[in-house]
Amino acid sequence: MLGTFARRGFWILLIMYFVLPMLAMARFALQTVPTFMLNSHTLFKGWGFSEFMVAFKDPGVIKSTVLSLELTALTIALTFLMLVPLTTLIEIKAPRLKPVMTGATVLSWLVPPVALVVGVAGTFREVFPGFLSSALNLTYFYALWMLPFTYRALDGQLRLIGARNLYEAAQSVGCTPITFFFKIILPNIKSSLYISASLIVASVLGEFTFASLLLKQTMPVYMWHFQTSETRAGFALALVVMIATALILGLAVARLRKRGINFSATGI
Amino acid sequence: MALFLVWPTISVIARAFIHDGSFSFFNMNRAITGTYRDSFIVTAKLSFITSILGAFIGLVMAILLRRLPVESRARTLADSWSAVASQLGGLPLAFAFVALVGTQGILTRVLKTMGYNLADHGFTLTGMMGWTIVYLYFQIPLMFLIMTPAISALKDTWFESATSMGASSARFWRSVGMPILMPTILTGFVLLFVNAFSAYATAYALSTGAGQLIPLQIRFILQGNVITGENELGYAIVAWTLILLVLSLVAVTLLQRRVSKWTESA
Repeated sequence: MLGTFARRGFWILLIMYFVLPMLAMARFALQTVPTFMLNSHTLFKGWGFSEFMVAFKDPGVIKSTVLSLELTALTIALTFLMLVPLTTLIEIKAPRLKPVMTGATVLSWLVPPVALVVGVAGTFREVFPGFLSSALNLTYFYALWMLPFTYRALDGQLRLIGARNLYEAAQSVGCTPITFFFKIILPNIKSSLYISASLIVASVLGEFTFASLLLKQTMPVYMWHFQTSETRAGFALALVVMIATALILGLAVARLRKRGINFSATGI
Repeated sequence: MALFLVWPTISVIARAFIHDGSFSFFNMNRAITGTYRDSFIVTAKLSFITSILGAFIGLVMAILLRRLPVESRARTLADSWSAVASQLGGLPLAFAFVALVGTQGILTRVLKTMGYNLADHGFTLTGMMGWTIVYLYFQIPLMFLIMTPAISALKDTWFESATSMGASSARFWRSVGMPILMPTILTGFVLLFVNAFSAYATAYALSTGAGQLIPLQIRFILQGNVITGENELGYAIVAWTLILLVLSLVAVTLLQRRVSKWTESA
């Protein structure tokens, strides 16, 4: 009896803890009544989407969002162009190299962005001064930062479909490696490409550390400045970003679960 | 990889040991004295507290949900939500808590009308308690995600054989469940610790850019690098951070070996 009671209490507290901050932010975004004036008379006044329009019409928001979207697209492109052929090649031709790859991806997880960025700022500014002036060059660090997640997703899927056996079978019927890659591997690893892309979208759109410390005006960095001047519109923007992130990741996870693949957000 | 990761990292560590053009521990010493020493302690304390609490609550969540079938709606919801929340960190999360318990927050206001003033009781979002509450938002789901696979690997038959020999549920967890889960719990704890220690965006947004936590100290030094020599101090702080993180990983690997020996002999 007490057990059931305690269990219920635990869940209720936990759900409140996770939901209340979101609701509070939504109120600031949707209602224009200041908190100190909030009482039974004003509770239902001033609701509307006007703050969202303020956020969406701000030229800085548009500009920084475009930059963040470009970075996302480039990171996905870089990851797919470099990592997919490499992982496939290692799985089929050189499985011996796998521990090396795993070790290398763990390395990029071990050095936290806030530490890496100090090194990057120190070394690149001296050796290639022009490199850090372009915001789009953040792509390389983002691709690297996502490597533990993307590599594992790809590697797991390639093993699951038995890429090595497939390759032998394809060879014996006279299939060229290029045809094999495009006709057999790519269609079969679609779901892991999908989860990798979703993770990249969700992470890069919210990435703050690199961009902020290297003084690049990506969307999260701009959001911070924006929120200090337009408090409520800032909340509205944060709310939109949060819901979008949640939807993208939630859909990806749900889709994977349907196929019976377990999602590992830890990358370890 | 070598260019964008290994080279910058090594160069930071190397530069941390250089002062006036020659090898010295001057900066490494400076990075762990005075205010920087306090920063390390505060950050480690925060990471430790949120890892312990996060690990515990995440573990309880995973254990309670174990009995539900994988396809059930509650499981799907918990899994998907955790995947999302563990990645949420950053600005929006900090904003959400400001909206709830900041000085103009809803809950602050509600509690005030009920005669309870949060600020009078020493609660601010820029203090240890405030940070802890915000950090737990991503720590708990992360632990849940780490523990779920390990817990579903516990076989129902073990539980049944334990109870058929007269063991209570608590006894089962103490003698069978926990020892088996221990390595995963330890790994989870360290992942949480590292996660909290290097959380930058949340810390930044909560303390308006200037604060005691290590990631913010690194920022402060990096941005104020007009003063010559301060750069080196930044490198030293980063080097110490990396040393600390690597040490905690090594410690956990050793502990895990210990634990797996216990389980083997038991």
